[in-house]
Amino acid sequence: MKNVTMKTVLLAGTLAVSSLAAQAEYEQVNLTVFGMDCAPCAHAIHVSMKGIPGVKTVDVDLNTGLVTIKLAPGNGAAMRQFNQAVEKNGFTHKDATVVARGKLTGTASAPFFEVAGTQDRFALTPDSSPAGVSALLGKTVTITGVLPQAAKGKVADTLRYKTIAEAQ
Amino acid sequence: MRSLVLLACAVALPNVAMAADHGPVFGYATPVNSERELSLDTGIFGRSGSRGTQFSTSSGFGYGLTPHLTISAFLPAVFGSGSLSESRMTAGGEWYAGASWRFLHSVTTVGKRVESTASLGVVLPGPQQDSGLLATLHRAPGVAGTVATGVASRSQYLWAGGGYTRFAEGSHDRRPDTVSWSGVYGYRPPKLRRGYDQWDYRGFAEFTGEHTGNVTTNGHMLPNSGTTTLWLGPSVLAIFKNVAISGGMQAPVFRDASDSIYGREHIRFAINFSYLRYSSHTSSH
Repeated sequence: MKNVTMKTVLLAGTLAVSSLAAQAEYEQVNLTVFGMDCAPCAHAIHVSMKGIPGVKTVDVDLNTGLVTIKLAPGNGAAMRQFNQAVEKNGFTHKDATVVARGKLTGTASAPFFEVAGTQDRFALTPDSSPAGVSALLGKTVTITGVLPQAAKGKVADTLRYKTIAEAQ
Repeated sequence: MRSLVLLACAVALPNVAMAADHGPVFGYATPVNSERELSLDTGIFGRSGSRGTQFSTSSGFGYGLTPHLTISAFLPAVFGSGSLSESRMTAGGEWYAGASWRFLHSVTTVGKRVESTASLGVVLPGPQQDSGLLATLHRAPGVAGTVATGVASRSQYLWAGGGYTRFAEGSHDRRPDTVSWSGVYGYRPPKLRRGYDQWDYRGFAEFTGEHTGNVTTNGHMLPNSGTTTLWLGPSVLAIFKNVAISGGMQAPVFRDASDSIYGREHIRFAINFSYLRYSSHTSSH
């Protein structure tokens, strides 16, 4: 009986982790790109972003340099892939505003946000007034925040969150 | 893959030396292909003068090895005869081997970038003879180098560039060394700064110049065979996503060339079509 209970707990745990992984991902990335002057520049970015598995729609505004990427549920796209799509076309990525689901880890004083299904892990800092995150530690949360510009080939390691809430 | 790259290099044309899919049709410009971008070009160049009109075409492709290094290959062809002087600003009857390297690339704001590109290549005689004086020469390979620098933005473009071509001697003949230069200003009106899913138009004013040295024939330098010409004219570039059409014409504003040796060139014109195929490849995380 005890053995059966243990198996049930393990199975439930595995399902919970699987469910967590499937639900944790980038939902939207608004990436500012410098250097695009013409239609082929925007088309190149569009084609490159669409080539990333999980990307649903891409919109490029040449006059603001804003690339809006919406992703399908369950995607495994990583931030490095978005930056790489910009770099391979000879442009420069700046700040990115992201909406993502992931797990809040670390401590109340040094929280981290992990986007499961990827290797993306960001130190969290509040964008303005700090919000209490201790109650959310260990939970799956939805965050809207800004990733500052990173050097070529790199991804920012800090996410400045604007909103954070437990994922539904 | 290595063989393909070597083959491409063997017939490649310095990218900034010819009509580029992102820029002017006559002058030097800085754009190069994206990484893994394949561009297909075909262009017709015309040079009309007192001894006839000469057409040349250049059809080929460019491929971006990296975001800043492009190789390209073109198939040259010449039709008609104008007994014209050497020119490196328009397509001729030669093959080229070369590559273009964007060695400076700086983005300053949305839609704006400052960049410089250099090209270096080997010039190889094509299957067709030239006309006039140049047709009498034994042709030999040469080397060609170009450098272009400039600013590209949503509203304005400004490029300046120069090139030098030197031919080897063949059977005591030698084609003239050529120094060429250009300045290009481009403008996109506010109403045409639209979304990328609409036609993108730009207008250019292209100023070009060439100085060719004296021709060497049978081991002797032919007097008064050197030329200096300056050209000015408009061109238009229209792009829809990955298809580009550009056209332009130029008239001479200065000409120092012997009328007894060469035809008096009145006008140059060009039309270029480009198809750009971008790569969607990205590495997995």
